[in-house]
Amino acid sequence: MNAPIPSLEARELALAGMGASRLRKEDARFIQGKGNYVDDIKMPGMLHMDIVRSPIAHGRIIKINKEAALAIPGVHAVLTAEDLKPLKLHWMPTLAGDVAAVLADEKVHFQMQEVAIVIADDRYIAADAIEAVEVEYEELPVVMDPYAALAPDAPVIREDLAGKTTGAHGPREHHNHIFTWDAGDKAAADAAFDVADVTVAEHMYYPRVHPCPLETCGCVASFDPIKGDLTTYITSQAPHVVRTVVSMLSGIPESKVRIISPDIGGGFGNKVGIYPGYVCAIVASIVLGRPVKWVEDRMENISSTAFARDYHMDGELAATSEGKITGLRVNVVADHGAFDACADPTKFPAGMFHIVSGSYDIPAAHASVKGVYTNKAPGGVAYRCSFRVTEAVYWIERMVDVLAQKLGIDKAEIRRRNFIQKEQFPYTSAFGFEYDSGDYATALEKVLDAVDYKGLRAEQALVRANPDSPTLMGIGLVTFTEVVGAGPSKICDILGVGMFDSCEIRIHPTGSAIARMGTVSQGQGHQTTYAQIIATELGIPSEIIQVEEGDTSTAPYGLGTYGSRSTPVAGAAIAMAARKIHAKAKKIAAHMLEVNEADLDWEIDRFKVKGDDSKFKTMTEVAWQAYHQPPAGLEPGLEAVHYYDPPNFTFPFGIYLCVVDIDRGTGETKIRRFYALDDCGTRINPMIIEGQIHGGLTEGFAVAMGQQMPYDAQGNLLGNTLMDYFLPTMVETPHWETDHTVTPSPHHPIGAKGVAESPHVGSIPTFTSAIVDAFSHLGVTHLDMPHNALRTWKALRANGANL
Amino acid sequence: MEVKLDKQYPLDVDATRSWTLLTDLKAVASCMPGAQITEQLSETSYKGAVKVKVGPAVAQFAGTVDVLELDPTLKRMVMFGKGADKTGSSASMNMTVTIVADPSDPTHSVLNGQAVVIVNGKFAQFGGRLMVQVSDMLLAQFVENFRQQAKTLPGAAGAAQVSGAAKTASRPEPAQVASEINGLAIAWMLVKNWISGMFGKRS
Repeated sequence: MNAPIPSLEARELALAGMGASRLRKEDARFIQGKGNYVDDIKMPGMLHMDIVRSPIAHGRIIKINKEAALAIPGVHAVLTAEDLKPLKLHWMPTLAGDVAAVLADEKVHFQMQEVAIVIADDRYIAADAIEAVEVEYEELPVVMDPYAALAPDAPVIREDLAGKTTGAHGPREHHNHIFTWDAGDKAAADAAFDVADVTVAEHMYYPRVHPCPLETCGCVASFDPIKGDLTTYITSQAPHVVRTVVSMLSGIPESKVRIISPDIGGGFGNKVGIYPGYVCAIVASIVLGRPVKWVEDRMENISSTAFARDYHMDGELAATSEGKITGLRVNVVADHGAFDACADPTKFPAGMFHIVSGSYDIPAAHASVKGVYTNKAPGGVAYRCSFRVTEAVYWIERMVDVLAQKLGIDKAEIRRRNFIQKEQFPYTSAFGFEYDSGDYATALEKVLDAVDYKGLRAEQALVRANPDSPTLMGIGLVTFTEVVGAGPSKICDILGVGMFDSCEIRIHPTGSAIARMGTVSQGQGHQTTYAQIIATELGIPSEIIQVEEGDTSTAPYGLGTYGSRSTPVAGAAIAMAARKIHAKAKKIAAHMLEVNEADLDWEIDRFKVKGDDSKFKTMTEVAWQAYHQPPAGLEPGLEAVHYYDPPNFTFPFGIYLCVVDIDRGTGETKIRRFYALDDCGTRINPMIIEGQIHGGLTEGFAVAMGQQMPYDAQGNLLGNTLMDYFLPTMVETPHWETDHTVTPSPHHPIGAKGVAESPHVGSIPTFTSAIVDAFSHLGVTHLDMPHNALRTWKALRANGANL
Repeated sequence: MEVKLDKQYPLDVDATRSWTLLTDLKAVASCMPGAQITEQLSETSYKGAVKVKVGPAVAQFAGTVDVLELDPTLKRMVMFGKGADKTGSSASMNMTVTIVADPSDPTHSVLNGQAVVIVNGKFAQFGGRLMVQVSDMLLAQFVENFRQQAKTLPGAAGAAQVSGAAKTASRPEPAQVASEINGLAIAWMLVKNWISGMFGKRS
């Protein structure tokens, strides 16, 4: 007789599938220092590249003298735009429909712009040689302020666009204007304001910040002159897109271009775009026939690779006297820097900014975003958020607070009055988004109970009543909704490629499996969580499922990992591919058990005959059969590929509450408590979710409390080292409390919505909300970030609240 | 990075000698630590160089100095200097210097200096937060050198006494000055000034 069948629980546990807090498979190599990053790649005969950069923000290049650099022993080449011109590679297309200089062509447009490259035997010679390249500039007037850039007589930043009155996103109304993008219904919004009981308006600036991943950007390009193929190891969040772009730029057939994203030390949007350094290293490798490595340093990373935010936002809410919001209007001036290199789906030059109506049922709304060129570095990427969602959530959450303050309604209560109600889902917003699912009210009450909100307000009243209190106490509350998982290819594409994602699964004869996806992990733990989805779908222990990503020669085409799209899109592709295998496996099992498919039930890891527990076939047995003796008419093997084109975005949400104590003497803010409730739908690995939330909250803390890119009037970036740019460590980071509710996405195969970005998006306005709340009894309605001690101390003084 | 300076330095040298030295740009340049005039391009235009060392970073600014205005009656000079370092920094300075006689003591005068200094590139990025202090330091060193050198000039009163010798005497060599702006010395002076400022406030 067969061995006794283990219990259902034991079998479930053995799978370590969805819902299990399985330890991260990646960590074993990372904590031992055995990761394999781009800078770990060493190839025989490899040369090193360094970049000559512009010291000024705006100027004409008069002369470049390479002689002294070329005379240094070990220097192989010095290339400028003139050298790239014959290859037509001195300019390249950006993901936003603009062009960007690969190496400065007659003009420099921002400080640290790439002007020339040096290729040398080692990194040190290259670094010495860039100092020997003499570049003579004629300085031009600098434009750093986007409003000043739109003045009629403002200096022309982009002379290459002279006479171009239409850009990628419609008419250009000024030489420094890129686009104006509108969403919603202006007439309806205006009408709502005309009849409103009350309106509030606020100007806020969302500062320019930088994602600043621990690993900077870089690549190793290796062109084989004999075979004519190009292999490039690169720090990319989207290797397949890089392959397509490299093929289009270089003319090398896509089949001969292999892009590999090895281990990546954080991306956060910074590693989505294609940078001049990559292109130059590839060109240098093709020209010299040898591998060329380029890895930027920290100052180069912060100064020249993609920034985020830099939105100047003016907006208004209209409401009834009871606080029910009836209309929304927002106008944004977006500083895009010298080239429009935002990484947004093509049709959305301001990304998903139109999620700006938030978690609230607002009948009439209009948003307008104006993109402007300035003499700053290009970018505008989604820094740990879906495209421009952070800016949108910040704006609406701040505005709801401002409205509550004006009406004297508690900020929790005003949210209750405006929430989209559970039964309204799927809910179509005034901007046309179809919110998939949500239950905001329940989640809010859970948080308010957990922190004893009433008690906190009572305590705050006591602090305010005491003129000698050494601190001001503030309570921040945010009830945000994100839009992630871009996206349906009918509206979302990048360079014309639809934003689907993909998965290929192969079950081996002995029942283990390998799966490959078009995404790429930069710390998300895909190797761990993707295997858990397959484990649950196919009944194979996640421990014996290998997950591979990042090599374009082995993985199916996908659009990559950013905008919280891995779980909503690739995660769905995995489930769908697994279900194709499951369907075939069922046919095989039915054949083996000599019953009809309809007579089989699936139970954790096996097909069993209805009503007879002793008759079953496990997935392992089915796999063997698939390779050994498949049923007549069925192909051998057990594998599937699925390209998943999502029918809609997903809409994760969260309720965050923060309590701060501000020192009235120093302006220093202590985060006393931060409570984060997230609802990301179905939870794949609670431990990884918690880790993602801790990471996102910490990055949100960094943005809100300290990160900034201080440019002076001449265009010098005065804070491009980690001495100035705030990256919190354990010393500064507060304690986080996490919680969750589960509202699955109805359109996603496993109901998952994505989580990694919610804590970043949601926490930033929570900190501001708390800081402003501490000042609100003094009539303060808004304070711009960063809330560092100096700025807060100034606010204390300005409002007579300092000690 | 723009820094505005407005400084008054009392000198124990009479106004005439101070002005005489001020109009000799080559000599004035030698008072600035690490600076020198390398070539005269015209009556009012010069080529010059300044070497600055801050820690491991050495910058060699090469550029031009133009005298925009020279008013002997008001004893006022307006200069514009700009220069660039080939490793990625550039600087410009628009400076107005006036010598004012001390009404209570004819052997003393005051050097008034107003300057707008703009620095771009690496020096702005690395040294931005120290610009004001470093500029103050440099000027203080400059004034000290200037004072010493001016004192060696034949004075208005003394000129009559040593008239014969004065005609033939070549200008004395400038007092020994540092050959480059030394970062360590600057740092030391900054700390010293900071500490003395701290105690100054308490007293």
